[in-house]
Amino acid sequence: MLGTTLLVGTTFGVVARQSGLDPLEIIAMSLFVFAGASQFAMVQLFSQSAPTPIVIASVLFINLRHLLMATSLSPRLRRLPLERRLFAAFFLTDESFAMATGHFRRGGRSLAYYFTFAIALFVLWNLATMIGIFVGGAIGDPRRFGVDFAITATFIGIVVLAIRHRADIVIAIVAALVAGALALAGASTIAVITAGAIAPLIAVFVRR
Amino acid sequence: MIWVAIAGSALATYLTRSLPFAVRFRGRLPPAATRYLEALPVAIIAALVGPAVIAPAGALTHGAEPLAAALVIATVAWRRSLLAGVIVGVVSVALLRLI
Repeated sequence: MLGTTLLVGTTFGVVARQSGLDPLEIIAMSLFVFAGASQFAMVQLFSQSAPTPIVIASVLFINLRHLLMATSLSPRLRRLPLERRLFAAFFLTDESFAMATGHFRRGGRSLAYYFTFAIALFVLWNLATMIGIFVGGAIGDPRRFGVDFAITATFIGIVVLAIRHRADIVIAIVAALVAGALALAGASTIAVITAGAIAPLIAVFVRR
Repeated sequence: MIWVAIAGSALATYLTRSLPFAVRFRGRLPPAATRYLEALPVAIIAALVGPAVIAPAGALTHGAEPLAAALVIATVAWRRSLLAGVIVGVVSVALLRLI
């Protein structure tokens, strides 16, 4: 998991730099947003000059799943004072959640395990971002080498790896087609958020 | 504007992480809402892929992007590796655009 974080973080630095973002902006994203898929999405939306509210709303939607994860972890952190809980929350990611859940399911009780792993991921993610910025600045014209497609390929990979049920495949295809059609029709600013909000309704109606 | 978007996104992300830790929810979400929230990330990320594959640069693709996308799907499904998928995607789209 640490290796994956290093690779994805470096990829993020490269594609963000290639998209023309300033190194400081990229570093700030990894430091303060600290959410892989959202950061890639932001780069994509920035490169399409999407309006700021659309960017923020898209990130909010992508991260709504944290509500579920934090809700499921919160009984474990109940004894901590509020400020420690708010500190722990900042480092909650898919990876740290998966790791913590596994630890607690195996009967573990120590919260130090969560903090150590989650903060290590944060440090690694930011180091990887900086490596990527450095590499990305050295590559040159992105379209010529197909590097502009790296972000799309990353999203495709994230989706393929996230598929758990047959319904997920249908949802992903519907979302991609609706967003693509909206973009072709000239509604590219609202394409992603509209398609992304509509397609999960399939999960509500389909039994798994 | 980029800085405003970064600050807003950071705040939005932190709220989704911290709210359940700060506030005690009573009861549970209805299962339909849970299923919707679980499906959201896949849908949003797939929605980001759609325009980039079907309409790169705002116009209908000449075919390079959908073909490369299919190769990426096959690679990741087979190798279970994000990096392998990215490499195959970048190389294949660069070659396909030459045709």
